[in-house]
Amino acid sequence: MSALDFVVLIGSMLGIAIYGIWRTRGRRSLETYLHGDRKTPWFAIGLSVMATQASAITFLSTPGQGYLGGLGFVQIYFGVPIALIIIAIFFLPIFRRLNVYTAYEFLGRRFDGKTRLLGAALFLVQRGLGAGLTIYAPAIVLTTVFGWPLDLTIICSGLLVIIYTVAGGSDAVTVTQKYQIGIIFAGMITAFCLLVAKLPAGLTFTDTFALAGGFQKLNAVNFSTSIHERYTFWSGLLGGTFLMLSYFGTDQSQVQRYISGSSLREGRLGLMFNAVCKIPMQFSILLLGVLIFVFYQFEPPPLFFNAASSQYLAEHSADQKLRAYETDFNSAHVQTRQQLEDWLKARHNGDQAAATAAFAGALTAHRQGEQIRVAANEELPVKNSGATANDADYVFITFILHQLPHGVIGLLVTAFFAAALSSKSAELNALGSCTTIDFYRHLIKRDATDAACLAASKWFTALWGLVAIGFALYAHLEENLIQAVNILGSIFYGVMLGLFVVAFFIRRVGGTAVFWAAVAAQMLVFFLYFIYFNPIYFNPPISYLWYPLIGCAACVLLSLIIQAALGATSKSAPASQVS
Amino acid sequence: MKHPAATEPSACESEETGLPFFRSWKSVYLFVLGSFIFWVALLVALTKFYS
Repeated sequence: MSALDFVVLIGSMLGIAIYGIWRTRGRRSLETYLHGDRKTPWFAIGLSVMATQASAITFLSTPGQGYLGGLGFVQIYFGVPIALIIIAIFFLPIFRRLNVYTAYEFLGRRFDGKTRLLGAALFLVQRGLGAGLTIYAPAIVLTTVFGWPLDLTIICSGLLVIIYTVAGGSDAVTVTQKYQIGIIFAGMITAFCLLVAKLPAGLTFTDTFALAGGFQKLNAVNFSTSIHERYTFWSGLLGGTFLMLSYFGTDQSQVQRYISGSSLREGRLGLMFNAVCKIPMQFSILLLGVLIFVFYQFEPPPLFFNAASSQYLAEHSADQKLRAYETDFNSAHVQTRQQLEDWLKARHNGDQAAATAAFAGALTAHRQGEQIRVAANEELPVKNSGATANDADYVFITFILHQLPHGVIGLLVTAFFAAALSSKSAELNALGSCTTIDFYRHLIKRDATDAACLAASKWFTALWGLVAIGFALYAHLEENLIQAVNILGSIFYGVMLGLFVVAFFIRRVGGTAVFWAAVAAQMLVFFLYFIYFNPIYFNPPISYLWYPLIGCAACVLLSLIIQAALGATSKSAPASQVS
Repeated sequence: MKHPAATEPSACESEETGLPFFRSWKSVYLFVLGSFIFWVALLVALTKFYS
């Protein structure tokens, strides 16, 4: 990165943080600290919900997912519109009517204290770990690529977000997210436009799609009913709906965003904004990855996108076997490119037979190249445990670094940090709120004043920030980053959703039944994860997208069975009558 | 510590969308579902046409 890139990065990050602190100065009440000033319009809520979900991982890792696996990953978002409509109709009006600070307060009013604590504890465990990932994931990629010290990057970005989140609370999160998402969109649109401009001159829009389609990169929808396939239409629609319902409906980091609106209308419209925009947004990011794939068919790609692997290759130039892999890979690329140029000429001349033959040749040469890449990757961990083989997270950053001009590099790295900080601040704000309201005020100091709760909330927010930094400093990931975050959520979200589904819709179930049902359902999901998700015991493993559905269904069914065994409950007020 | 009282939804919070073309929430939800179906259809067409 040049000096210009650093000026763009540091200026933007510090500028937004200072603006957030300045705009929210003088917040002295618990109500405004946790809920904001209750004047947030729907557009700001919509952007805030979007920025909370779209972390740096979304923008770093998703294009790589598109590059390697095509558009199929978009199916995970098929559940978003349905889930958000359900939340707008059922969840949001009740949260607003009860004027709760956290979603788990509602569980306490509907059931009892222990169920509220269970819901809050599940949130704190999964979101506490998730917050560590949010900060670790971009840091590991950016520091590997730029050679920055990993620990220092994690600590500096972590402390920056802690400072403005602690200072300004919920409003600081919303205010800064507006500008952060602006930078993110500016960066991604710039990258998209420059990438399109860099594609070969003779390659038209339809040629580009035909090429990508020929390499199976445009297979966006898969109607397979196999539960072992990770991304299908059905796992996205059914499993994805449960995953998104759990995330948007029961995760305090999201609930806190949309209950801060000035009215029910603002919250609902903010959610509907996301329901309409989420699929096209993810499609565009994946398409960016597919276009990078097309670009690298005409420009030489690196043997490894992973920076650690590339560095290992550069440092071990005497390694004959790896050098041979690199030479073979480069010649396979030259063949692919030659065949694709022949295909393009034949296609433009209307020679269908020659075009088909040339494309078949390109596919063969490309497959050969990929086999060489896989074989070379398999060589690496044996020789260097630090050089892992997961390329998806490094595809986009490699493209940015080697193909885009200075200034734009700074803008995009700023966009990644903006995304990391925006989701991180919402998570810390939610973790601090939940610990204060559901544990400190509920368990430790029931007679705490507003001022004491406000002070406690600031301390807990800072504490969770430090926990996240600590987790990030010791984290190690085997999975592709965006998948790791979704897998972690899938393990806990189903049971959390089950608690809320019972609370909203099954009036005859009481607190004791749902509490033990949730504990048993969570044990079941852990069992499934460790046994059926583990290829050692069960191959191929069940797609993680089904875990929220399984966890939710188990919680609901078990609560009905346990309640039947316990007999009729006296605490059976329907959700709409809870006060 | 004083807990904020549960508030009743005011009349303006109940059904008004305030949008020019969508007077009821039902029509907003139908629009969202319609846009979802549009995107799924587009993605299915992309899959069928280019694979």
